[in-house]
Amino acid sequence: MTRQPRLAWLLAPATLFLVLVYVWPTLGLFRIAFNEVGPTGAMIEAWSLATWRHVFADSFTFELTLNSIWLSLTSTFLALLLSYPVSLFLFRTESRFRSLLAVIAIMPMLVSSVVRVFGWLAILGDRGLINSLLQSLGVISAPVRMVYNWTGVTIGLAESIMPYMILALLAGFGRLDRTLEEAARSLGAPPWRTFLRVTLPLSLPAIALAFGLGFILSMSAYITPKLLGGGRVFVLATEIFEQATTNTNWPVAAVLAVYTLALLLGLLALSNLFSRRLQT
Amino acid sequence: MAYLELSGLTKRYRDSVAVDGLSLSVERGESVALLGPSGCGKTTTLRMLAGLVEPNEGVIALDGAEITRTAAHRRNMGYVFQSYALFPHLDVARNIGFGLEERGVARAEREQRVEDALQLVRLQGLGHRRPRELSGGQQQRVALARALVIRPSVLLLDESLSNLDAKLRDAMRHEIREIQRSLAITTLFVTHDQVEALTMCDRIAVMNRGRIAQIGSATDIYERPATRFVATFVGRANMLPAERGADGRLTLWGEALPAAAPSGGEVDVFVRPQRLKLAPAGEPAGADMARVSGHVLNSVFVGDHIEVIVAGPGGQRLTVEIQSGDAPPPDGAEVAVMWRAQDTLVFPREAA
Repeated sequence: MTRQPRLAWLLAPATLFLVLVYVWPTLGLFRIAFNEVGPTGAMIEAWSLATWRHVFADSFTFELTLNSIWLSLTSTFLALLLSYPVSLFLFRTESRFRSLLAVIAIMPMLVSSVVRVFGWLAILGDRGLINSLLQSLGVISAPVRMVYNWTGVTIGLAESIMPYMILALLAGFGRLDRTLEEAARSLGAPPWRTFLRVTLPLSLPAIALAFGLGFILSMSAYITPKLLGGGRVFVLATEIFEQATTNTNWPVAAVLAVYTLALLLGLLALSNLFSRRLQT
Repeated sequence: MAYLELSGLTKRYRDSVAVDGLSLSVERGESVALLGPSGCGKTTTLRMLAGLVEPNEGVIALDGAEITRTAAHRRNMGYVFQSYALFPHLDVARNIGFGLEERGVARAEREQRVEDALQLVRLQGLGHRRPRELSGGQQQRVALARALVIRPSVLLLDESLSNLDAKLRDAMRHEIREIQRSLAITTLFVTHDQVEALTMCDRIAVMNRGRIAQIGSATDIYERPATRFVATFVGRANMLPAERGADGRLTLWGEALPAAAPSGGEVDVFVRPQRLKLAPAGEPAGADMARVSGHVLNSVFVGDHIEVIVAGPGGQRLTVEIQSGDAPPPDGAEVAVMWRAQDTLVFPREAA
């Protein structure tokens, strides 16, 4: 970039914009994390680590961290299982409806997540589509709990990150050359062996990319855990919201937000290291 | 029945016919080139043989057994792709050993055979390299070794030399030919390069529009092209419209040709540039020689020969090739062009 100084000007508008609406507020967030809360509940300007000590002495923070990571892992994994075949199909198909199919696959992005959550309530709820169907078929006698718990949140979250993962997979499939699969077949590998020995290893970079993206989106998701969790699912994102709004404890919210950010950056660095090893 | 038998093979795509009722017999150990321009169906034919494309009609039989609908991985065909298609995530040894692993060959034997294959293509010691660390020629050899190590029933080469530079291509041509001969492996070689076809194969099938226009030895194809298409596609050619004299005999540029005329219809006269000789204007033709006169338009030095363009009275042009050591006649000079009567071929005007 230093060799092409004039090219760098292309970055100027976005940089200016991001500094104003992202970097500056984030710095503000860092500042608030070092403030204290007085006995009345009011925020006191300070440079203190008291809130940090308070937050990390609380075992609930640890529990929230595990919850967030576990929820993100499971929902991202579920989403990956569903997205991978779809992406492979979209990448490979020679159908003239290909772009239309791709748009349909990422259509959920166009719907507000609040609307999607209510959609899931209608499907997974006690009197929802699935329970009514299973009951009328006599498979179950009482409704199975699928909302206001981890199951519902995992399903809802997986659905909401799928479009992003499909796009990431499609972008990452670059090296996936069909001729390589033909070569494997001509050398005697049946289709499933060809998939295991050629297609899958060559799509690992795409999978790593999609998984990283899905994981980050799940970690920071707030609406789905909040609404589909029905107050029974506690993760970092919901707790930050509670502290900032219900409790109006901004220092605690800020500390948790900075902590989540650091956690994500750490995990991102880990996954970078991992995917770089995949490349070689 | 021949070792490999294709009969009536047809592949249609939505709005075109790639291969149109193609039939071909290949003997065990024989090497046959499928030569033709791009889009003539030669690669589709090869892919049907490998089981990568399913024919609409026709039968493929190998060693007496029909394999038309057999899955690709059960065919035991060694396919060398134009792009080599080496697995980028595996090293050279594992690329070559891929087919052996799929066949459940025990590790010790596998390693031995991979080592032998590396030696065969002269890549000893490079087994642990990744494909992208190799040069184009080396990648080509790995692809060849990978296809050969499984001891395929037929070796299929798809434009396998076209990604190499000219010098390397020459070397690989001889090398592949030698390996093919020493292993006595039945080989089908798809190419659009006539030199490759002429030098690497026992027989050449010249393809055009999904069919075989002519099949035969290199000499057959070159000296006795069966159709106008083969004549112009293989080797350099002069193709000029002939007139008919009052007696029905053929004439070119107003002079009688010592060539038999097929009855009826317009015809073209074909003669190769290097069979033409230049002589001083007015020199009489010898016995069994054809002769026309014209003037030199210009000469082009091509390296190993010189192309002299001679224009006739009607403005039609003949290309004459002379040795590059000889001095070409000056531009504008009146010359006679002569050639042996037996080097003249006559083709109907419209037939392709």
